[in-house]
Amino acid sequence: MERRPAAARGSATFLLVLILLGTCASFMALKTRTDTIVRKKVPGSSIIYIPSGKFLRYATFGYSSLAADLIYLWAIQYYSTPTIDDRFDHLDHVFSIINELDPRYQDPYEVGAMIAVDGAREVVSAVPDLSRGRGRAEYARSLFQAAFAILDRGAANNPDQWIYLFDAGHIAMMSLKDFDLAEKYFGQCMKIPGAPDFTRRLYANALYKRGDLETSWRTWLDIYNTAPDERTKRIASNHLYQVKSAIDTGRLKEAVGKFRERYHRLPGELADLVRAGLVDKLPKDLDGGDYVYDPETGDVKAATSPWKR
Amino acid sequence: MADAIRIDSLKKSFRLGFIPKTREILKGISLSVREGEIFGYLGPNGAGKTTTIKCLLGLIFPDAGTIEVFGQSHLSARARQSLGFLPENPYFYDYLTAAEFLAFTADLFGLDRPERDERIARLLKLVGLERAASLRLRKFSRGMLQRVGLAQALINDPKLVILDEPLGGMDPLGRKEIRDIILRFKDEGKTVFFTSHILQDIEMICDHVAIVVGGRVVKQGPLQDLVSERVLFTEVTVLGVAPEAFRGLGEGVSARGDRVFLRILEETRVEEVLALVRERRGRVVSLSPRTETLEDIFVETVTGK
Amino acid sequence: MKRVWAIAGITFKEAKRDRILYLLFFFAALAIIASRVLAILTVGDRVKIIKDVGLASIQVFGVLMAVLIGTSLVYKEIDKKTIFTLLSKPLRRAEFILGKFLGLALTLLVMTAGMSLIFLAVVYLHTFRIEWTMLIAIAYIVLEVLLITAVAILFSSFSTPILSSIFSLAFYLIGHLSWGLEVLIKKMKAGAGRAAAQALYTFLPDLENFNFKTEVVHGLPIPAGIYLSSFLYGVFYTAFILGLAILIFRRRDFI
Repeated sequence: MERRPAAARGSATFLLVLILLGTCASFMALKTRTDTIVRKKVPGSSIIYIPSGKFLRYATFGYSSLAADLIYLWAIQYYSTPTIDDRFDHLDHVFSIINELDPRYQDPYEVGAMIAVDGAREVVSAVPDLSRGRGRAEYARSLFQAAFAILDRGAANNPDQWIYLFDAGHIAMMSLKDFDLAEKYFGQCMKIPGAPDFTRRLYANALYKRGDLETSWRTWLDIYNTAPDERTKRIASNHLYQVKSAIDTGRLKEAVGKFRERYHRLPGELADLVRAGLVDKLPKDLDGGDYVYDPETGDVKAATSPWKR
Repeated sequence: MADAIRIDSLKKSFRLGFIPKTREILKGISLSVREGEIFGYLGPNGAGKTTTIKCLLGLIFPDAGTIEVFGQSHLSARARQSLGFLPENPYFYDYLTAAEFLAFTADLFGLDRPERDERIARLLKLVGLERAASLRLRKFSRGMLQRVGLAQALINDPKLVILDEPLGGMDPLGRKEIRDIILRFKDEGKTVFFTSHILQDIEMICDHVAIVVGGRVVKQGPLQDLVSERVLFTEVTVLGVAPEAFRGLGEGVSARGDRVFLRILEETRVEEVLALVRERRGRVVSLSPRTETLEDIFVETVTGK
Repeated sequence: MKRVWAIAGITFKEAKRDRILYLLFFFAALAIIASRVLAILTVGDRVKIIKDVGLASIQVFGVLMAVLIGTSLVYKEIDKKTIFTLLSKPLRRAEFILGKFLGLALTLLVMTAGMSLIFLAVVYLHTFRIEWTMLIAIAYIVLEVLLITAVAILFSSFSTPILSSIFSLAFYLIGHLSWGLEVLIKKMKAGAGRAAAQALYTFLPDLENFNFKTEVVHGLPIPAGIYLSSFLYGVFYTAFILGLAILIFRRRDFI
């Protein structure tokens, strides 16, 4: 007689549990193995189909702010993964999406620009060549453009924030040595209430570097007159010295040039210029000192460095 | 004769509700069904009849107790092969035709083609559905579903047939057909175990009966033992004698038209009544002694306890 | 085994009568054909959009079919009480679950074949070539869909269709976000927390193992080892899920 007591049922359950453990162990082992197999990725394939922010805004059903957060989080991981060679290709696109989804989310503007500038630096010196045929300089340039695009958006979407214009001016001045652009940015920045005082000084300096000495002088004068403390006064004074020196030595050099044209020789001393009628009287530097003239080269310069007065 | 079913101290509790509250449904069922007999399992609603059957069939796992079918564990394949089951309010796959459904059931028993087809034809004829073989079950009436249910319960020619309320919802003609079929099972040597509310049917065909109340078998035994031959009262219908004549002789005198109905408690009085009728030149239309019926036992058992 | 096939047979008959199947098939076909129109709008490689949309449709609609039908499969039997007569027969509960799975798998195979045919036809109209490589991606999509089917049946054996659908879709989502957990683990400090996260990461499903759509569309080479690896992963995970379903189903009382 066949008997199938509860024990038989129990043994079937035991077998089943064994099978479960076995299959579980198997698939976990397989997963670990599969992870080690490297699969080819299409450059930029991970983000090729992200549509524009405007579209995404509707698609996210009112969770656009959350979507911005998540995409930003993803972007941070993405851009800090050095093994993705082509990650800078769509930098502006990615951050434009974040910005459009949440225009008031401040961090992405600054961080995006920072990544772009960092990237530009890396691209110029990286081994191997990340530009993939485009040329390093061109690629770097495009990244700077991306940085400015991001910061411009930040400023446009947040007119009360001075930091984006400041950052942009800073990049223009320091990395690109584009003093035109720097002047433009600092000039706009200093008009925003809450912008730090030194923005004005940077503006004035940019003017000087650009070559607009008149405006630079006037701005520095104003800064000097409205200086709230000794230190600022001193800085302004030094810069005024510098600008005045530039203006004066410029005029003097021009006169030297005219002297040379007329008399086919360099003047022996600056007083010659006055005697020749090319200059009314010799200008003095801000401290009342004379300018130094080198009769060998025809060079005119200030007696001291503005910072050593 | 061996036991077809043997249940010993079957216990089952359920934990129901969001905050689980344990309800003990079966509190220790013990019964045995001899091979070849028709066994009726009765009880009020909620007594645990269907739960017992589900334990028997392996749909529910008991907390304690043993169940044996033909001497083997009720969960064994051999046990399942030898039984057939018809549930209460059967519902089957309505997208299959009757023939397809029976063929599917036959496949579960591993019957091969020719045997399968032969059995299907025979069973459809038995339950009176041979003209509905290619009709989809969706179009079947309740009575027809009951019949096809019976057919699927018999597809493996089982030694034991378990029926849960097989006579419910059928018209009197249908009930008679099913009763006849069940009696035929007995002739074929099959064992039948069924539950029913309709006590007259049980009385008509059962050999053995068990009454379950509140999860326990409170009365069990052959039908004759349970239902005594004791006469409760005698009903007499008389023609041609005025009702007043019987005052003092019987209890419950009533008249309708020219007939008088009497209910006589004591047997001795019956003779007196008959003598009176003859004296008055009346006629006895009918005389029926009413013995204790199963219904009486049932009500007494259920309410008395 | 014959009994498993018997159950599979009626499951197939039942599933193919479900209107949802044809509705989803219709939308899949619509999407694939519409991609042809979409392709006109793009600049450059037109076929890429057709291939991308086509493969994505087969995957998405395949998963939806698996979930929507699978989650009601076992539940209906319990709810309509057809399971009483079924389990009173000499049918093991394991055979019941396997039969249901097989029946639905067959149905989905037929549906996927149909969608694939339409897809290949539309691609053919563009390239005048039968792109056999598409079948590689489709084959592994089928594997993924079968795994989801097993998951749907698992939940269907103890939960209502709506909850089961949610859980199954959650499984699908988790399966495709496995890389996120991987990134997170890389940033964690070594220790118990990281070890636990690592174990979780290995245990949770990684459905990207079945994703060859990008490679196939761009014509990239696929490393040979991954074919077998992913296939076996699918097989073992499906077996695990079905084993779990059987374990739960066996202990169940049908009140």
